[in-house]
Amino acid sequence: MLLYELKKVLGKTVNKVALLLLLAALVIVSTLAIGGVSYTEPDGSSISGMAAARQLEKVKKQWEGYITEDVLRAVIEANDAVNQSPEYQSDDVTENNMAYSRKQGFSDIREMLNQAFSDFQTYDYFRADSLSPEDAGAFYGKRAASLREWLDSEEMKDQFTENEKQYLIRHYEEMETPVYYTYADGWETLLTYTDTMIMLIVLITGFLVSGIFPGEFSLKADSVYFSSRFGRNRGVRAKIGAGILLISVIYWGTMLLYTGIMLFALGVGGGSCVIQTGLGGWKSFYNITFFQKYLLSVMGGYVGSLFILSLAMLISAKTRSAVLAVTVPFIVLFIPSFLSGVNPLTKVLGLLPDQLLQISSVINQFSLYELGGKVISSVPILLVLYSCLCVIIIPWTYQICHRIQDR
Amino acid sequence: MELRLNNLTKQFGDFTAVDHVSLTMSSGVYGLLGVNGAGKTTLMRMICTLLRPTGGQILCGGRDIFKLDGDYRKILGYLPQDFGFYPEFTVKDYLLYVSALKGLRPAVAKRRVRELAEGVGLSKHLNKKMKKLSGGMKRRAGIAQAMLNDPKILVLDEPTAGLDPNERIRFRNLISELSEDRLVLLSTHIVSDVEYIANEILLMGEGKILHQGTADELIDSMPERVWKCRAEKSEVPALMKKYRVSNIRSEAHGAELRIISGEKPSTDAVPEEAALEDVFLYYFGEKGVDDSALI
Repeated sequence: MLLYELKKVLGKTVNKVALLLLLAALVIVSTLAIGGVSYTEPDGSSISGMAAARQLEKVKKQWEGYITEDVLRAVIEANDAVNQSPEYQSDDVTENNMAYSRKQGFSDIREMLNQAFSDFQTYDYFRADSLSPEDAGAFYGKRAASLREWLDSEEMKDQFTENEKQYLIRHYEEMETPVYYTYADGWETLLTYTDTMIMLIVLITGFLVSGIFPGEFSLKADSVYFSSRFGRNRGVRAKIGAGILLISVIYWGTMLLYTGIMLFALGVGGGSCVIQTGLGGWKSFYNITFFQKYLLSVMGGYVGSLFILSLAMLISAKTRSAVLAVTVPFIVLFIPSFLSGVNPLTKVLGLLPDQLLQISSVINQFSLYELGGKVISSVPILLVLYSCLCVIIIPWTYQICHRIQDR
Repeated sequence: MELRLNNLTKQFGDFTAVDHVSLTMSSGVYGLLGVNGAGKTTLMRMICTLLRPTGGQILCGGRDIFKLDGDYRKILGYLPQDFGFYPEFTVKDYLLYVSALKGLRPAVAKRRVRELAEGVGLSKHLNKKMKKLSGGMKRRAGIAQAMLNDPKILVLDEPTAGLDPNERIRFRNLISELSEDRLVLLSTHIVSDVEYIANEILLMGEGKILHQGTADELIDSMPERVWKCRAEKSEVPALMKKYRVSNIRSEAHGAELRIISGEKPSTDAVPEEAALEDVFLYYFGEKGVDDSALI
C-alpha cells in the first residue's frame, strides 16, 4: 500500500518538476558556495573554487595546532610584517593583493584577534593591525571580560535575567583553551549554506506531501477509498508513512549529497575544531566543534522539516485542500521574518519552528529561556518541543482521516 | 445476508435528504429509482458508511454497520456515481491498489484482478493508464474494483450514467450476471436500467421510499390507466397541460400520444398496457420526463 501511495505522489508531473527544482537548487547552492571560496596568488591574481580551497588548505595548514600565546604573538608579528611591506602600503590594488596573499595562512587567527579585541557589539577589521605582540597574553581573557562588560552595560541591563547572565559567563569560561586550529573552510562553507539548503528542501517537499491526503477528494476517489475495508486505518497509515518517508528520504538524501559535494570540493579537515575558531563563531556560548554544529543543524533541520511538513499534511487532511497545505511551509518560514522587528516578540519568535531550520545561525545568538530558575538555551528546547509536537500531529492526522464519515 | 434500514434519516441543516426510511433487503437486485435529488446517493453513501445518519440505524445481520466498521466494509463493494480514479495508474495498478485497500493478499489480488478484468472485458487494457480509458471502460474498471472482494453487498450508484445505449445494455447484463448470491442495490433515474434485472424496485422521492415491489406490482399499484390516442399538432400543448404524457410520436398530420389518465382523454383513445416508465412518470410527474429514459 505504501508503494502505491509513493507511486501516486511521484507519478504527478508537478511533483516531478518539484524534484527537478530541488536538484537544480542543490547544484546552484553548491556551485555558489564552492565558487565563493577564493585564494589570492602571490602575484596578486585570484582563483576560486576547488583549486582555491586546495591552496588555502596548504597555507592554513602551516598554522595548524593549538593557538597558544606564542602562536598569537607570531601571528601579530607576521601580520605586522606584511603591513610594513611596500606592497601593503602601495596604492596599487594588485600590490595590495600580493600583500594579502601572505596573510591568508593566518587570516582565520587574525580574524579571531579582531573579534577578541574589538568591543563586544562592534567589529573592526583592522583591530588586529593595531595589536602588539604583548597583547597576545590577553587574548582568551578578553572574550569573557568583554561579555561581562557588555552584560553589565546600561543597554543590556534588563535584556537578561541574572541567571541567564551567569549561564552565559559560565559557558564562556568553560571553553577549553588554548583552542586547536586547522583548516576548516569546508565545514565553515558547508554550514554557511546549510540553512538555505534546508529551507529549500522544506519548501519544495511541501509540494509533494501536500497532495497526499486531498488527492482522493480532488480525484473523487474518496468514496471507493473510504468505503474499503482498510481505507480508514491501514490506508491512512500508508499515507502517513509515505509522507514521512518522502520527507525523510528527500531531506537526508539532499543533505547528504550537499554535504558530500561541499566536503569533497573544499576538504573534510577541521571538523574537530571548536566553532569559536571560525568566522562569527567567536562569541557563541556553545562549546561545540564544527562537526557537532553540523550534526545539530541537520538534526534540527530534520525535526523542523518533519514538524512543518506534518503540519501541512494535517491541514491538508483537515481542509482537503492541497493549495492551503502547500502554503504552510511558506507561512511558517516567512511570517517570523516580518515580525522580527517587534521587540516584545523576540522570546516567542526564538521558539518558532523556522528556528529549527537555521540552527547554525541560532547557535551564534544569545537565545536563552529560564524555566523554573533553570536556564536553557533555545536549541535543546526547539529539538524537544517540536519532536513532541510531531508525535502529537501524526496521530491527530490519522484520527481526522479515520473519522471521515463524521462530516 | 440481510441489510435492514430502521427509520433512517439524514439532514443537512434544515434540508432532509433521507426521511425516515425503513427497509429490509436480502439477496437479489434492488433497483432504487428516483429523480435527481430524491436522496438516492445520500442513502447509498450512508449504506457505504461514508455518511453518518442523523437518525435511525442500518443493521447488517442485526448489527449496526458503523459499529461493525471494517468488518462490514469487508463485505461491501461500492461504485459511486462520481467514480474517481488515479489517472497515472494503469488499470492493473489501480485494481491491485484497491485490492490492497480491501485487504486481499497479493497472490489472491492478482488472481482476482485477472478474473475480473476478463469478466468485464478489460483483459487487453490492463496495462493502459486509467486516464486513457473511454467512459465505458472506466465504468467497467469501476465495477471490477467494486467486485474485487467478492462482496455480499454491492452498491452501484448510477452505474450507467454517461454511457451510450450499447454500453448501457452491456453493463446491465454484467450486473445481472454479478447479482447471484449477493445483495445488489442499484440506483438510477433511468427506468430501463432496472426494469428487467431488478427483483424489487424502490421508488424514491423527496427522501422517502414512496413505493416498492416488483415491476408488475408497481404497475398494478398505479391507480390510473395508460391510453394511446392521436391528436392534431395544435392540440398537443393542451393535452400535455392536462395529462401526464409519457410519449409523443410526431406523424405527418398530427401526433400519437401516450397518456396516463384515470379518464379517457379523447374519444379515439384506446387503453394500452402500462410499463414501468409510465409508473415512474405517474409518481414523479413532469420531472420524470428524461430523454435518456426513452431509449
